[in-house]
Amino acid sequence: METTVKQNKPKLKVSTVLIYVFFIFMVIIYLAPVCWIAMTSLKTRPEIYKDPFAWPETFQWGNYKIAWEAGKLGIAMLNSLFVCVITLILTMLLGSMAAFAIGRMKWKLSGAAMVYILIGMMIPVHCVLIPLFVRFANMGLNNNLWGLILPYLTFSLPTSVYIMTGFFRSIPNELLESACIDGCSIYKIFFSICLPLSRTGLFVTGLMTFIANWNELLLALVFISDGNKKTLPVALTKFVTPYQTNYDKMFPAIMIAIIPTIIVYTLFSNQIVDGLTTGAVKG
Amino acid sequence: MDKLLKNKTAIIVFVAPALILFTAVLFVPIGTSFYYALCDYDKATRSYSFIGLGNFSKMLKDPIMRIALKNSLFFLLFSCISQLIMGLLLAGLLTNIKKGRNFFKNVIYMPCVLSSAALGLLWAFLFHAKVGINNLLANFGVKGPGWLFETSGFITLPMWVIAFVALWQYVGQSMMLYMAQISGISKSLYEASYIDGATKVKAFRYITLPLIKPMVGTAMSLNAIGSLKFFDLIYSMLGDKTENLKMDVLATYLYRTGFSSKGGNHYGYASAIGVVLVVLCLIATAVINKIFKTENYEM
Repeated sequence: METTVKQNKPKLKVSTVLIYVFFIFMVIIYLAPVCWIAMTSLKTRPEIYKDPFAWPETFQWGNYKIAWEAGKLGIAMLNSLFVCVITLILTMLLGSMAAFAIGRMKWKLSGAAMVYILIGMMIPVHCVLIPLFVRFANMGLNNNLWGLILPYLTFSLPTSVYIMTGFFRSIPNELLESACIDGCSIYKIFFSICLPLSRTGLFVTGLMTFIANWNELLLALVFISDGNKKTLPVALTKFVTPYQTNYDKMFPAIMIAIIPTIIVYTLFSNQIVDGLTTGAVKG
Repeated sequence: MDKLLKNKTAIIVFVAPALILFTAVLFVPIGTSFYYALCDYDKATRSYSFIGLGNFSKMLKDPIMRIALKNSLFFLLFSCISQLIMGLLLAGLLTNIKKGRNFFKNVIYMPCVLSSAALGLLWAFLFHAKVGINNLLANFGVKGPGWLFETSGFITLPMWVIAFVALWQYVGQSMMLYMAQISGISKSLYEASYIDGATKVKAFRYITLPLIKPMVGTAMSLNAIGSLKFFDLIYSMLGDKTENLKMDVLATYLYRTGFSSKGGNHYGYASAIGVVLVVLCLIATAVINKIFKTENYEM
């Protein structure tokens, strides 16, 4: 079929084409569902049932408004934002502080502290769910967004400490020494020299923390029962009740929930993809 | 300089918040959880009475627990094997192309960052008994199965469906880990092998595979822990149906015994399930690390 095969690599051609065909197929598998929700979210309910794969007759933008109001998605999104932003800031601050002490400062137990924190990576949330729930209920922290922030923060710390330690260790000694000679205090060295130099690390850990907590379902489901304090994933699951599913409201709700993540992801996909793997690769 | 880095007060200021948080929110509750696992919680008086291993012997006779354990182990095995094969395949192929590599990589990774709850709802609809994929099949005159309702078989059909959805969602993670490792392998190794007449497939088999073995261990442990923790997708795809349809996994069963509106509040028993979960995580990681433990090659 192809007669003008390039001289320099005649053998590669067929296999490369096959690889591309394969990956285009994969892209379809991955993007089609998302495009399909987008399309379905603009249909009326009878249309959805009649032929779920047909193009909508008219775009029902009103679906979004109905879903937004019926699912209290506005409040849910604000709750999610509040929880995620506070967790993000605290994780970056506490995580990098601990990482700096563990990675750069000289004390006997630094190795032990690292191990202690890394154990947290292996422990599933499930096994602390009940004690935390009981304790928080006694402390009045259930149905309170701070009751979510605390465990989220704790479970985000290991990865961030891990990644930030790597970044702090890569800062050349000379920099710290000259700062020391200039009379910087250790706090100033940390806040004005090391932190700004590790911006990439902060950015990566920040994104990871945010995404993980934005999507978290189990803790949010257990700790929050007050309708006005629900986070976005919990609000989503409420569209499916045991008796019926409101598909015409559910699809716009799914869109509303995933659009922010998709936007952030398309903007920073390279950093996110690389960042999420850094931690594991270094280990 | 040294004096500055040995400043005890500063060290405490830096480390204490994280460590205190860790102890209070993670390690103390784990201890409590192990204690609760040995107790029976009385809903009426809100008190715990020590019953030793009672919860665990109850577990042995509990048919739902058996189903949950079976399904969890199925997910564990399925995700370890399927992620290994698909992840390696994708990574191996992707490193062979230049144009569009980033695009493909980012697209395949995308579901990893999306909410499982949202994606679960989407797939639940696609596998709906009447609409969705079955609608497409009906056009060809095929009557599709009740993807999420079938209850026959050792591993029921819904479990297979969800396992594949999980593979779809998370394979990007394994792919990325393998790609990162493959790109760290020196090009000269491949060049030398091509000069010796190796084909690409052979080079993959005898150079790439051995050199990424440590990463296989890492990726597989992540998969194993992830699949044991598996909750979001199942909960959003099956909702409250898990109970009737023999579709529990450990995480959903724990959630139901602990917090479900009907028949919940068995904190002691739920904690015992949590303990089983942690122990399984530890065993899985240990076994995987044992299998893939290798001396580090020079790269």
